[in-house]
Parts: sequence; structure tokens; C-alpha cells
Amino acid sequence: MSDPTPDLSPHPLSFLAAFGAGGLLSLMVLFNGTLANYGSLLFSSWVPHTTGTFAAMVALMLLRPGRRLKVRAPLWAYSGGLSGAVTVMATSYALNTPLALSGTLAIGLAGQMIFGLIADARGMFGLRQRMPSVRDFAALLLIVAGSLILIFLGRG
Amino acid sequence: MMLIAVVTAFAAGVLVILSRQVNGRLSLNTSALESSFWNHIVGALVLTAAALVFGGLRDAQVTQVPWWAWLGGTGGVVFIAASSWLVTRIGAAQTALLIIAGQMVSGVVLDVIMGAPGSPLARIVGVALILTGMWVSRAPKTRIRP
Repeated sequence: MSDPTPDLSPHPLSFLAAFGAGGLLSLMVLFNGTLANYGSLLFSSWVPHTTGTFAAMVALMLLRPGRRLKVRAPLWAYSGGLSGAVTVMATSYALNTPLALSGTLAIGLAGQMIFGLIADARGMFGLRQRMPSVRDFAALLLIVAGSLILIFLGRG
Repeated sequence: MMLIAVVTAFAAGVLVILSRQVNGRLSLNTSALESSFWNHIVGALVLTAAALVFGGLRDAQVTQVPWWAWLGGTGGVVFIAASSWLVTRIGAAQTALLIIAGQMVSGVVLDVIMGAPGSPLARIVGVALILTGMWVSRAPKTRIRP
């Protein structure tokens, strides 16, 4: 736990944090989906982005996290929210095609895993390069299989 | 038509990873929380511009919304900060895989709590496979190439 160097295998803390973040994502889907019942899809994405901006400002003022480096990040590194906003539009478009929710989730999952592996293997966008092991692929197959069963067969 | 739908759904998945990778890169110079702030303010500006061009905010029934539904954005700040922190430590594929695992398992828990209809057998098999996958991945040794 006290080792300050980044761990290469999933550290228990990262492991729990990622699993917990997935749980948080389920709640966000529920909250933002509820917003969509009272307004447009744009409304259901605009509200969390706007309230989130203020929440993040308050959190920054309270916690005052230091900057890791004195150097400014490249300008493109500030554009994460751009692809985030486009994701919302792409998803709502796909939901309204014959793919529906199950198909959109399943194909989106494939997109995440394939591009995630490419991004890791190439060390894309200045993050560390890493090659998946056989064990990683086994875990990937099991989790993707379980997810597909839940997506296509788990709902009534 | 169907091809466009499939490509769009796939692109949405790619964009999730792209956004996470870019936010992670920003967090290397700043902090995970600051990268979450920039993610939200840039998204808010883009969506406000989209609303000004296409409309879509005026007819929302703001007063009818249950109070808890306003909390998604605050949850999002934590979620994006956690994602930026994770992607720089365990990589894009592991981060995505574990977040999906958490989302799927908690989705089943939410469905059961809220009494949503669904096949118990599929839920048990699905969750068992995901937990087995997590157990396999938890065991040590992730080979990396320098």
C-alpha cells in the first residue's frame, strides 16, 4: 500500500475504485435517464454537465489539489469533454435505431474493449504503453460474456 | 441504414475510451479533479452551443423533476475524476473492463431492488461470469512492454 510507484497489476484499491465507479455509473444512468422523462435528451445531458461544472468548482476550492507538474498540458488534453458530449449524441442516435438499448450497449462495449486494447498497446495520448497478458484476455472474455448475457437475456 | 447505426454505436464506445485517455493525460499535468472540471465545463459549453442552435431546453418540465435526479452531475464529477485516476494507473482496457463489470453487477442489484422483470437464471450466470473474470484478472502478473 505504501509503495508510491504506480502498480502494474490491478492494485486492490484501483480494483475496488473501478468497480465502485461502475456502480456510480449505474446510478448516473438512472438519474440522467429520469431527467430525460421531463425534457429532451439534450436536457438530460446539459443538466449533469452544468451542475457538474459547479460541483467540480466547489470541490476544487475545498480540496485544492496541487498540480502534478508546473508545465501546462497540451491544448488537446483539455478536449476530453468534447468527445464526452459527442458520445451522448451518438448514443441517443443509436438508441433510436433498431439496435435499441441492448444492441447499442453491446456494440458500445465492443468499441470500448477493442479501442481500449489498441490505446494500451500503442500507449496512445501520452499514457503508458502496456501489452495485455493471456490472463487479461481470459478476464476480458469472461466479463464480456457475462455482460452480453445480462444485456440480452437478463431483462424481462 | 443499419450499418450507420452499428458504426455510430461502435463509435460511441471508442469515444468513451478517447475521452478517458485525454482526461487521463490532462490529469498527469494537473490533478484528477481538475481534469474532471475541464471535462464538465467543455461539455457544458458544447451542449449549451448545441441547445442554442437546435433548441431543446425550453420545454423541459423543470419543476416536476424529482430532487435526486439533479445529482447525476455531481456523481459525474467523481466518476470522471476516478476514471482519469484509474486510466493512468491500470490502463484503458482494465479501466473499461472493471467499470463495465461494476456497472453490470450494480445494474442487476438495482433491477432486483426496483423489482424490474428479468430472468433470474440469466442474472445469476451473467454475474457469476463477471465475478469469475474479475477474480482471474485480480491474480498478479500484468506483463508490460517498456
